[in-house]
Amino acid sequence: MVRGSKCYKVLQARGNANFRCLISPGCKAATEAPAEGTILRRNAAPISDSGYCRSFNYAAFSSTKCSQPESCTRIPLNLMRALANRSIDVSSLGASSSVQRTPVCSGSTGLIGSGGGLQSVRHLQTLAVTPTGPKIIKADTEETIEVSVDGHSLQIPKGMTVLQACEVAGKEIPRFCYHSRLSIAGNCRMCLVEVEKTPKPVASCAMPALPGMKIKTDTPLVKKAREGVMEFLLLNHPLDCPICDQGGECDLQDQSMVFGSDRGRFTDTKRSVVDKNLGPLVKTVMTRCIHCTRCVRFASEIAGVPDLGVLGRGGSEEIGTYVENLMTSELSGNVIDICPVGALTSKPFAFTARSWELKSTESIDVSDALGSNIRIDSRGPEVMRIIPRLNEEVNEEWISDKTRFSYDGLKRQRLNEPMIRRPGGYLEPVTWRAALSAVAQAVHQVKPEEMAGVVGKLADAESIIALKDFLNKLGCENTWCEGIGANIDADVRSKYLLNTTIAGVENADVFLLIGTQVRKEAPLLNARIRKAVRNNRAKVATIGPPIDLTYDHEDLGDGTDALIQIAEGKHPFSTLLSKAQHPVVIVGAGVFERSDKDAVMAVVETIVDQAKVVRDDWNGFNVLLLEAAHAAALDLGFVPGVTAKLLSKDHLKFLYLLGADDIKPDDIPKDAFVVYQGHHGDRSAYRANVILPGAAFTEKEGTYESTEGRTQQTSPAVPSVGDARDDWKIIRALSEVVGVQLPYDSVSAVRARFLAVSPNLFRVDELEPPTVWPQSITPRSSSSKIESSPFIKAIDNFYMTNSICRASRTMAQCTSAFANLKQI
Amino acid sequence: MVLAFLRSTIKAAKDNGWKAALEEVKKQGLVTSLLDGNLLATKLWTDDGARLVGVDKLGNKYFEKKVNSQFGRHRWVEYADKKQYNASAVPPEWHGWLHYITDHTPEQLEDLKPARYGIEHKLNRSGEGDAYIYHSKGHALNPKQRNWTRYEPWQPT
Repeated sequence: MVRGSKCYKVLQARGNANFRCLISPGCKAATEAPAEGTILRRNAAPISDSGYCRSFNYAAFSSTKCSQPESCTRIPLNLMRALANRSIDVSSLGASSSVQRTPVCSGSTGLIGSGGGLQSVRHLQTLAVTPTGPKIIKADTEETIEVSVDGHSLQIPKGMTVLQACEVAGKEIPRFCYHSRLSIAGNCRMCLVEVEKTPKPVASCAMPALPGMKIKTDTPLVKKAREGVMEFLLLNHPLDCPICDQGGECDLQDQSMVFGSDRGRFTDTKRSVVDKNLGPLVKTVMTRCIHCTRCVRFASEIAGVPDLGVLGRGGSEEIGTYVENLMTSELSGNVIDICPVGALTSKPFAFTARSWELKSTESIDVSDALGSNIRIDSRGPEVMRIIPRLNEEVNEEWISDKTRFSYDGLKRQRLNEPMIRRPGGYLEPVTWRAALSAVAQAVHQVKPEEMAGVVGKLADAESIIALKDFLNKLGCENTWCEGIGANIDADVRSKYLLNTTIAGVENADVFLLIGTQVRKEAPLLNARIRKAVRNNRAKVATIGPPIDLTYDHEDLGDGTDALIQIAEGKHPFSTLLSKAQHPVVIVGAGVFERSDKDAVMAVVETIVDQAKVVRDDWNGFNVLLLEAAHAAALDLGFVPGVTAKLLSKDHLKFLYLLGADDIKPDDIPKDAFVVYQGHHGDRSAYRANVILPGAAFTEKEGTYESTEGRTQQTSPAVPSVGDARDDWKIIRALSEVVGVQLPYDSVSAVRARFLAVSPNLFRVDELEPPTVWPQSITPRSSSSKIESSPFIKAIDNFYMTNSICRASRTMAQCTSAFANLKQI
Repeated sequence: MVLAFLRSTIKAAKDNGWKAALEEVKKQGLVTSLLDGNLLATKLWTDDGARLVGVDKLGNKYFEKKVNSQFGRHRWVEYADKKQYNASAVPPEWHGWLHYITDHTPEQLEDLKPARYGIEHKLNRSGEGDAYIYHSKGHALNPKQRNWTRYEPWQPT
C-alpha cells in the first residue's frame, strides 16, 4: 500500500527545510520549499546528510534552482503529490504534466555511499498500481440473500454455505473436515445444524445457504446431534492424549470438551491402524485419524502432489499413500497444522515439548525471499518449533518445509566466540577487543580499492546498511550481495521486485517463468501460481531447467532460444502472452548470475513491452529474488559502486563477509585478509582470518524486505549464543576501532538511517510497491550479447540452501530421503 | 528368656572349660547387651520357644516365636554387629519376611528375585563419613552432569 499521504504531510511540514540535491555534488540546493522535485538515484544519501526521502524511488528532492540541471531528471512536484496522494486520479494528470527527459549524471558522484548510477536515458511512466487483496463482496441486494441464524436475520452474499452464514452471524460451528482453503468434503458431520422445515439436521459446511433459510444452531436437536457425532468419532480414537503431541492444541480435545458427552457407551475394542511412513518430517499415528481427509485435500489441491488418499470404507477406511511412498512436497509440513487430531504430527518435534510450555514469538522467515510470517515457539534458550502465522498477502497459512523444519540447524555449528587465525593456521578464541583490533589493523594496511564487502543470504537490513556505510566511509565501493549476480540493476525498484505481489499472482492468467524453478526457489509462490492455474485456468510456460511445478505447464526449452523467439513474435506463446488480460513474467535466479544477464533482461523487457505486461492497472513484470537479504540489499544499494573493480577478485587484500558462504575459497586470494561475520561455522568460516560471531534471525530484531517489497521485522525469540552480538552492533563497534565511527548507537538510529537511504525499510509490515516503470531502456552494457546457453539451476537441493539448513540434521535427513526421488 | 543363654554358656564351660565359656559370652555379646537395653531386650526375648529361622550374610539372626507371643511381634532380628547396628542392616530379602510382608524365606525369595536390576544391598552409612551426597544436575562432581548449553559450538579444525 502506498503511504504517499504521509510523505505529503512531511513535505508540507518541512516547507523551508534545506533540500539538497544528492546526485550532483556541486549542486547547492536552495533552502526554499521545492517547487519541483528531482528524481534521484536512491541510495545516494551520504551519512552526514539528512536527505529527504520519498516513498517512491527517489532519494531526495532538490529545489527549483538546481545548479546542474542537466544532471537531474525532473518530475513536476504536482505529479509527485498526485502520486503521493492516491485520492488524485493519476491518469488524468499524465497528460497535463509532461515528464521532462533530461540525462542523469553518470559516473562517480563524489559522494561516499553511492551505488551504481542510472546510466541510461529514460523517462518515467507512472503507474497506478491497484493493491491486490481479497475481493470485497459488495453489499448489493442482487448479490445477497437473507437468511436467519438463531432468529437474527442477516444479509449474506450468494453462494455462501450455511456454515459461513453462521460465521457471519458470529456463531461458531464445530467442524473437523471443513477448512476454508480446501474443497468441501462434508464427511465429519460435526457441523450439523438444524434448518427449519428439513426433516434431519444438515451438514452446514456442505449446504448452500438459500434465501429465507432459518438456521438454528443452539437447539436440543443440534446439541444431541453434535454429541452423537462426537461419540462416534471417539469410538475408535485412542485415549492417548497424555502422550500425544497434539495434546493441548487438538481440535478433537477441545471440541469434545465443549460439544461432547460426558460418557461414552462403547465397550468394544478400538480398532488400530498401521502407521504410514511419510518421510522424515511428518510423523503418523494413524489410529488417531478421524478421516477428515484434510491432508488428502491439501496434498492434492494446494501442494499439488497426489500422494495421499483414502483406502477402504467404513471401519476399514484408512488414509495413506497408496503404495509405500514418501510425501514429496515442499509444503508437506502443513498437513501437521491442518490435521485436527494427532494423526499427523511433526517428527522432529515429537516428544520434545508440550504446547503450553512454549513461548511464542511472532517473527519472519528468512529461508527464502518471500518473508513468510512465522511463529517461533521456544523454551528457554532453545527454538522448539516454527509454525506459520496467518498473513493472507504473503503466506496465507502455509510455510515451506525448509522454514518449518530447519530450526534444529540453529543449535549446531554455532559461532559463539570471536576467533583469530594464528600463524600456525589454527583459530584461537579471543576477546572481542582483540578480534576487532586485529580487523582494524588489517584494514589500515590495505587500500580502499583492495577491500571488498560481501553480504550473505540471511543478513538483515540493519547490518547491510551498517556494513555499507562502514566500507564507504573507508572509501571502498567493492560491495555486493551474493546470489543476485555482479551486475544487478539496483536503480529502479520495479526492475528487481516481484511487482505483481505474491497475492496478486493469483489473478494472473498467463505466466512466463524465465530461468526460475519456482517450486524450489519459492514454494509458496508456486502454490499461488498453482491456485491461478486451478482457479483461472492460467497457462504457464517455462524457459529454464525442466521441473515438475505440480501443475500443467509448457516447457519452452532451457536456453534463451525460445525467449528470443517470443520477443520476435515468432513463438506461438507470444500471441498467448499478448492476448492475456493479466500476464505475468517472472524472472528468476537462473538469470542473475549469467554473464549475458543484461542482454537477457533486455530481451525480457522487449517481451514485456510488446505484450503490454506492464500497464496502468497491472504490473506483470516480476523478478523473483532468491534470498531474504536480497531485496533490502538492493534497496540499500549494496551493489558494486561505479569505481568497483568487481570481477577481478585477485587484487583483493581485505574481504569482509557478512554471512556470505557461497564465495569459493579458491576465488579468494591466498594473502587476502578475510573477516567472517556470521552465526554458523559454514563454508567461509574455514577460510576466515577473523571470525566475528553474529546473531541468527531468531535471536535479533532484524529488518527484512521480501521479494515483493514488503518490509517486515523478525523478533528475538531466544538469546544469542555465547559471546555473539547483533550484527549491526559488531560493525558499529568495528567502525569505532578502525576510526571511522558510524553515527548510530541504537537500533532506532540505524532505522532512522533507512529513512535517509530507503524509507520503505522504515515502514515495517507494509508493502511498498514500486510505482515507477522506466521505459526506453538502453541496456547498461550494450556490449554483452545474448548466449544460447541454458539457464542454470539456482537451487540444486531445496533443503540445503543456507548455513542454517546446512547445519540442520532434519534437512540432511530430507536430502537423503528425497535424493533418489525424481523431483526434489 | 535369658535362661537359654545361660544354659548355652554353662554347657560351653562344662564341655570346653571356662575359657571357652568366656569366648561364648563374648560371641553372644553379653557385655554389650548389658549396656544396651535394646540388645538386652532382644536377648531376654530370645528364649526356648524362639525358632531361629535363618542367618543372613551379615550374620544377623532372624527369630520367630509363634507360641506365647503377641501376634505382630513374633518375628525379630538379632543384629550381628552389636556396636553399630541399625535397620538398614537387614537386607531386602529378609526385610519382607521380618515385616510380615511375606512368609517366604529368603531361600524361596531368591527364586523370585528379578535378575536384571537387583543390586547388592548396602548399609546406610549416613553420618559415618560414607554418606551419599547429592550433587545437582549441573554440579561438576555429578558423574551424570547435565550440559545446559543447548547448542553445539563450531569446532574449527
